[in-house]
Amino acid sequence: MDTILAFVIGGLYAAGIYLILRRSIVKLIIGLALLGQAANLLIFTAAGLTRAQPPIVAEGSEVPINPSADPLPQALILTAIVISFGVLAFTTVLVKRVYQTVGTDDLDDMKATDR
Amino acid sequence: MNVLLILPMLIPLLTASLALLAWNHPRLQRGLSVFGAASLLGAAIALLTVVWSDGIQVTQGGNWPAPFGITIISDLFSAIMVGLTGIIGLSVVLYSLVSIDPARESFGFHPLIHVLLMGVCGAFLTGDIFNLYVWFEVLLIASFVLLALGGERAQMEGAIKYVTLNLLSSAIFLAAIGLLYGEAGTLNMADLAIRLGNSDRQGLTTALAMLFLVAFGIKAAIFPLFFWLPASYHTPPVVISTIFAALLTKVGVYSLIRVFTLMFTQDTALTHTLILVIAGFTMVTGVLGAIAQVEFRRLLSFLIVCEIGFLLMGLGIFTPLGLAGSVFFMIHAIISMSALFLLSGLTERICHTFNLKQMGGLYHSYPALAVLFLVPALGLAGLPPMAGFFAKVTLLQAAIEVESYTIVIVALVVSLLVLVAIARVWNEAFWKNPPDDIAGLVGRPGALQVSGARLIPLLLPVVTLASLTLIMGIAAEAILAIAMDAGEQLMNPSGYIQAVLGGQQ
Amino acid sequence: MELVAAVLAGFVIAPFVPWIRRAGRDYTGWIIALVPLFICVYLATLIGPIADGETRRVSYDWIPSLHINLSFYVDGLSLAFGLLISGIGALIMVYAGGYLKGHHHLGRLYAYLLMFMGSMLGIVLADNIITLFVFWELTSITSYLLIGFNHHEAKARSAALQALVVTVLGGQLMLGGLLILGYVSGSYELTEILTQGDMLREHSLYVPILLLILAGAFTKSAQVPFHFWLPGAMEAPTPVSAYLHSATMVKAGVYVLARFHPALGGTDLWTIILVTAGGLTMIVGAYLAFPQSDLKRVLAYSTVSALGTLVLLIGIGTERAIEGAVVFLLVHSLYKGALFLVAGIIDHGTGTRDINMLGGLRKAMPITAVVAGLAALSMAGLPPMFGFIGKELVYDALVEESGFVPRFVAGITVAANILLLVIAGIVGIGPFFGRNRDTPEHPHEAPPSLLTGPAVLAGLGLAIGLIPTLFIGSLIQPATQAILGDPVAISISLWHGFNPALALSAITVGVGVGIYFGRGRLRPIALQIYDWRWYGPERAFPRIMEGLDSIALTQTRLLQSGFLRYYLLTIIITTVAVVSYPLFGRGELFDRPDFGDVRFYEIGLGVLLLMAAFQAARSNSRLGAIAALGVVGYGVALIYIFYGAPDLAMTQVLVETLMVVLLVLVFYRLPRYVQRSTRGNQVRDAIVALTAGGMMTALILASLSFEDRTTISAYFDENSVPLAHGRNIVNVILVDFRALDTLGEITVLAVAAAGVFALLRLRLAEPQDEEADRGA
Repeated sequence: MDTILAFVIGGLYAAGIYLILRRSIVKLIIGLALLGQAANLLIFTAAGLTRAQPPIVAEGSEVPINPSADPLPQALILTAIVISFGVLAFTTVLVKRVYQTVGTDDLDDMKATDR
Repeated sequence: MNVLLILPMLIPLLTASLALLAWNHPRLQRGLSVFGAASLLGAAIALLTVVWSDGIQVTQGGNWPAPFGITIISDLFSAIMVGLTGIIGLSVVLYSLVSIDPARESFGFHPLIHVLLMGVCGAFLTGDIFNLYVWFEVLLIASFVLLALGGERAQMEGAIKYVTLNLLSSAIFLAAIGLLYGEAGTLNMADLAIRLGNSDRQGLTTALAMLFLVAFGIKAAIFPLFFWLPASYHTPPVVISTIFAALLTKVGVYSLIRVFTLMFTQDTALTHTLILVIAGFTMVTGVLGAIAQVEFRRLLSFLIVCEIGFLLMGLGIFTPLGLAGSVFFMIHAIISMSALFLLSGLTERICHTFNLKQMGGLYHSYPALAVLFLVPALGLAGLPPMAGFFAKVTLLQAAIEVESYTIVIVALVVSLLVLVAIARVWNEAFWKNPPDDIAGLVGRPGALQVSGARLIPLLLPVVTLASLTLIMGIAAEAILAIAMDAGEQLMNPSGYIQAVLGGQQ
Repeated sequence: MELVAAVLAGFVIAPFVPWIRRAGRDYTGWIIALVPLFICVYLATLIGPIADGETRRVSYDWIPSLHINLSFYVDGLSLAFGLLISGIGALIMVYAGGYLKGHHHLGRLYAYLLMFMGSMLGIVLADNIITLFVFWELTSITSYLLIGFNHHEAKARSAALQALVVTVLGGQLMLGGLLILGYVSGSYELTEILTQGDMLREHSLYVPILLLILAGAFTKSAQVPFHFWLPGAMEAPTPVSAYLHSATMVKAGVYVLARFHPALGGTDLWTIILVTAGGLTMIVGAYLAFPQSDLKRVLAYSTVSALGTLVLLIGIGTERAIEGAVVFLLVHSLYKGALFLVAGIIDHGTGTRDINMLGGLRKAMPITAVVAGLAALSMAGLPPMFGFIGKELVYDALVEESGFVPRFVAGITVAANILLLVIAGIVGIGPFFGRNRDTPEHPHEAPPSLLTGPAVLAGLGLAIGLIPTLFIGSLIQPATQAILGDPVAISISLWHGFNPALALSAITVGVGVGIYFGRGRLRPIALQIYDWRWYGPERAFPRIMEGLDSIALTQTRLLQSGFLRYYLLTIIITTVAVVSYPLFGRGELFDRPDFGDVRFYEIGLGVLLLMAAFQAARSNSRLGAIAALGVVGYGVALIYIFYGAPDLAMTQVLVETLMVVLLVLVFYRLPRYVQRSTRGNQVRDAIVALTAGGMMTALILASLSFEDRTTISAYFDENSVPLAHGRNIVNVILVDFRALDTLGEITVLAVAAAGVFALLRLRLAEPQDEEADRGA
């Protein structure tokens, strides 16, 4: 399954990258969101998938049953999900404000600060 | 638990929180902000002193042993960076007392600055690669908000590019961490150094090194990944420009140096040669970009890119002297650039513009200002007796020792071109007569629009920073002593690893 | 110790000039002149010991880590230069006080002059090559500030920039050469480097070192093709021109050549380059001086010529040649300095420097006329002036060798000297004789402050000419010896007997006087050729600068196009390139793909995810894209469930829901999708995207292969309950083992919230006038 997931993640990346290359700031957001998903899934997959018990210690024992899933990538992804949600939420509102201030959603028209 | 290591993160956190609570009391906020920045500087100096005399300091978050818990570690390089953060933090906060507009100030300017400082210090002091990601995100979100704070059109346009490119960088960073864990099974940098060294999967390791190069490279504004910088740095108010210019890219450079001296040293023929080549291109594109500019802050922004090239040069050379050069150059670059950005704020007050073509007459009317410009600017161009010259000489000597003559010639020619860019600013803003519409403004009393005690927080940072560039040049030996030690430490990661993991190898 | 004080005095006093000026008023010039005067006197006390063969050296550690030390060294060569710098410096300070009397920025002029003097002394007295360079660059900077003194004039600014760019370009290259030289020699102290001449000349890096150092010397000393900045520098006030651009700074390059002669000189390459450049410069300078109308430009070009002569002589390198160089150095400084100052007096007194407008001034300005006449005689090389001795020595050196090349060189030297004689007449005799012309101001004699300088200089020219050994013998010999590195015996006098040199002098005088009287007809012809032929470097510089500007502009437009997607494309393509190279180029990478134990619904899920992603990318409606995004998010949550991560799945579902809701709310206000990109762009972007995706896949597969590493998670599994007292290991990691991460995560959320709040509430329409609100 990891192999298949590797391809799935590649597909997610491809879709995300395609979207951020578009001229619309709206598509940009969706692309960034997809990239976030892809990255999380990548951490999960690259660490090694185990169709196993979740890493929870049952009552009465001191250690989880072997084999259990690797808890560390899960913790990392949790942190990453929350962080990326916070950042994306801000970015979404930013996009809205950009649209309101600049008057267009076409990124090609936003060149003033570069020239 | 070594408190000294935690303070640089704790102090700004406390300051930000308290300042947040004081949302409706700007006077209290300002006081807290200044106190917090000063305390941070004090803690940073204390840390530097201890690291200088006692060696690498380590502690573990929650006292969970390495490599399982998060390591907080300061070698000389980190301590120097934290020290610089303290200096710049205080300078910026002082300057902002007079210069930030009340609107922005009432929407959380001070807490945001301190969150930024916390993220920066956290990044410098962490020994865990995922924790580095987290601190990056902290400083990034703070910078996003600061950049967009106010919602002016230029800020919005700059912000969308800044945010997108940095988010891409974070996504790549995260992926790289995931893959790294997949290969090595650990997140602790010292542990990674050992495991990557023992790994027999060279191709993958180097590929991951390249991913990190890109991820940090975007943040560090290297060639060809720097486009977000000149598009955005000149859009927010001057204080925010300054703190960005001084610190943000340098966190990227710090991370590059850290991972490419500690973890990714197995394939230096490829990695470090590539870094050296990139350094050369970065220098050249940066300075050419600066020459093409008419807006003062955009010119400085491109010069930041140019400086990054020099910083990378030391890393690419990969000898203790080379890294000492990078460390010294880092110190000089941060201080000079901050001085110049703050100075651009002063000239804007007088001339009401950042456009060089529309400025003039400053040399005639404000000789002190001219000196305040000339000293750090010439230092930036690497002219003696400012610190920039000696930093440059260190890098050049290091390059000659490894017979990399191409980069030597490139660096020398680029120095000249930096001087050309500086001369342009001098010609336009200082020497030539002011154009008619501002001829009445320049030279009139009260041009700085503040007077009396309020002049101090405005001028003190600029004067101090500018003087430092000169003092550090004349007393270069003192700075070099520290930089050399830092370089040695960086080139010999076993000291770092030993400090973190003790005897367990 | 006194040496260090001598060098640093200028820098130390400079910041105090405003106060000195307030106290001294119009006599400030005389007061400030005391500084160089003291230095000159101090150096003069060293003449005796140096003549006896002693040297003085002092060294203080400055930056030992970089091998930079404050080392200073006095021998004959540095003493000769030092006396020139400080002596002429004193005279210039006095002159400046009179010339720029009452000028608003006169104080700054004094400060810059003092710093310049200190830098110049630093160059000639330094024993550490990096320290030498430090002062070298300082002279470039002070020169820039001095040339641009009349900064209101665009011409002055551009002349200053031109000089700066040319000399700093050479300077930077020279730095490279010096660093390599130091590295190769094992020491950065001149006295040690100079003993290693043989090793250096044979070294593989000799050529680069030589060329780089020559770059510095030639640019500073205005050798062809770098000569053009010198006439441009005449925009500076006359005292500056006299001091920097005739007597001292431009000779710095010559100093370096002379100083490094024992280490680098004597090879064929050295001789060829120096002789060619020097000879070319000599004749070109003299030729270009001839048609000029502005007094100062005439003098500037003739200075170029003189510098060429000096380089030529050092290139020849024989005892006679070096002796000639040392003498000519002194000769030139004396007469040229005097003539420049006279030009300033004429400008000050009549209001013009145009030769065509000057004549018959000897009645109104008698003292000036005498002084000018003496200086002119010295320049023309006529007895009994010092200039005559100088010229004789030069000719002596040239006639030593036989053969085509030496004869040719001798020939052009004579030609150059002929022209110089003519110029001497044009400058020093012409304006004072003949009939009176109309000048803007009624001519009047100059005040003492202006006369002192040229009088002293011209007078010295006469005195030394009459009694050379008394004044100079003890200086020439040690200087020549220092340059050659070997002991040498010198004798100079006014009369050497009838010899070829004298014959050449006679020819020079004869032809020269003839041309002088025919100059009216000859100058227009020369002017025509000047305009047409000498298109070269003078016009080239502005062109080069424009070219630089346009390259810079083009590069910036190209790279910093303003289009976000091009930035992204660049980054992504770069990433794929640098990652793929080691990934695929370093051998064994992938294990056999392990399809293992795959369940059909998992495959289905994978396909679903891919389809949803595709849909999100290609959807024509915003809501459709958001919905697809939601499907992706929930699909991922399912994967988490299948693989033992329930906590993760819960969070994923929550966050995904929030995200979808937020997007819908925000997108409601944003415009509909529009197909903007061209087909071609879409295809291109798709290819890039797929390639990048493929690279990520490859990376994951590579990471999964050979999976046999141990992870640190075992620790968490084992200690979660006993030490951390928690059963949900993931949670325990988040709040205990790696709590610092969670702290950061919460901070991010808080800041994001604050940011959203600020974005929505704070809308500043225009760039905030920051102080206006403050001031209120």
